[in-house]
Amino acid sequence: MSKNLSPKEVFDAKPWTGKLRSYDIIKEGTIAVVVVALLVVSLSFLFGSPDEKSLTFKGWAESNSDNFYATAVQELAGTSGTATYGRPYNEGSDGLNVGPLFLQKWAGVTHRIDAANNFVIEPLMNQVQTPEVKAALTQWSQASVDARTKWATTYDDAITKAEGKLSAIPAGEYGPVPALANGLTQMAKAGSLDAALLSQGGFFQTDSTKQILFFGDGAYLDDAGTAANLQGGTWGMMNETGRYPGQAWLWLYSFWYQIPPFTNEESHPIGANADVYIMVIMGAMSLGLILIPVIPGVRSLPMRIPIHRGIWRSYYQSEGIKRRRK
Amino acid sequence: MSGWISNFMNHPATYLKAGWVQISVSNLIVILLMLTVFALAIFIPFPNEDSGKGKK
Repeated sequence: MSKNLSPKEVFDAKPWTGKLRSYDIIKEGTIAVVVVALLVVSLSFLFGSPDEKSLTFKGWAESNSDNFYATAVQELAGTSGTATYGRPYNEGSDGLNVGPLFLQKWAGVTHRIDAANNFVIEPLMNQVQTPEVKAALTQWSQASVDARTKWATTYDDAITKAEGKLSAIPAGEYGPVPALANGLTQMAKAGSLDAALLSQGGFFQTDSTKQILFFGDGAYLDDAGTAANLQGGTWGMMNETGRYPGQAWLWLYSFWYQIPPFTNEESHPIGANADVYIMVIMGAMSLGLILIPVIPGVRSLPMRIPIHRGIWRSYYQSEGIKRRRK
Repeated sequence: MSGWISNFMNHPATYLKAGWVQISVSNLIVILLMLTVFALAIFIPFPNEDSGKGKK
C-alpha cells in the first residue's frame, strides 16, 4: 500500500518524534466561553443597546404631512418604489439583473403586495370614515381600473410638477384620489394607520413588511437613515444608531458602495444593479477565501509572511528550525 | 435603560471623514481593539512555555 504514497504522504504518515506537551482543549474551550460570556453580560449591563425612538406613520404624517400625502397618491397611482419593485412583492418590474440573469424573477412572487389596496384602500375601509372618504371609497371601488389609473397618475404628475407643494396643485380630473389621500393622512395623524397596517394577518403580528415598504416609499425613513449615517453611500452598512459600534466586519461589502460605478444609480448596467453586482463580487471573493488552500501563490503566503513563527517562536527556537528559503 | 452611559451612547456619533472614507469613532475604537488583541495574541508568550513540561 505504501508503494502508492507520495514522499509528502510518507513524511506525514510518520509518527511524531518532536517535543510533546499536555494540552486540555476542553479546559481551554470552557475558559474561553466563560470569559466571553462574562464580558458579554457585563458590557450589556453597562452599555445596554441602541434606544432609538420608533418611526411611526403618526410621526411621519405629523412631521411631513405633504410627503405622506404624496406617497399615498403614489401608492394609488402604482408609481411608488413598492409598486414598481417587482418580485417578491409583485410584477411591477423585472428587478435587478446581472446580464441576462434576473435574480429576483427566480424567486417569484412569494409575498404579494398590492400597494394601492394594501397600503391605502384596505386600511381606509377597515376604519370608520367621514362621509367624504366613504364616498371616495365607493367611487374608487366602482370605477374601472383604467379610470383609477388615470385619476391617480394625473394627480401624481400634478404633485410632481408642483414639487410636492400641495397648495400649488391646479384643479383637475383627479376623481376620489385627493379625498382618499387626505383620509389616509388624517388616519395616520390619529395614529390608527400603524395598527391597521400591522393587523392584516394572524393572531400574533410579527410581519412588518408592509409598514417597512410603505415607509421606504416616502422621505421619512430615508431622512431618518441619512440623519443616523445609515445610508449605503456613507458606509451606513457598518454603522449603528447613536454612539454604538456597528458591523465593522462589513467594511469590504460596504466599500464597493463608495466607488464608481456603484455610486451612480442611473448608470446602466452596473450602477443601476449595484446590489446584485456587489453581491456577486463578494460571493466570488468569499469563494476565493474558501479556496485559499488550492490557489498557487496565495496558499504559500504563510511561508512568505510567517506570522505563525511569531506565535510558536519558542518551538522554532528550541527545535532549531530555520525558515526555508527558496 | 437609563443613566449617563445610556445617554452618552444614544447621542449622535462622531464621524471621521477623509475623502470618500468615513468611519465612526466607535467603530474605529472597536477595530483598534481587535488589532490590539491580535497583536497581543502574537507577542504574549504562552503560559509555562519554558517551564520544561514538554518531553521528548
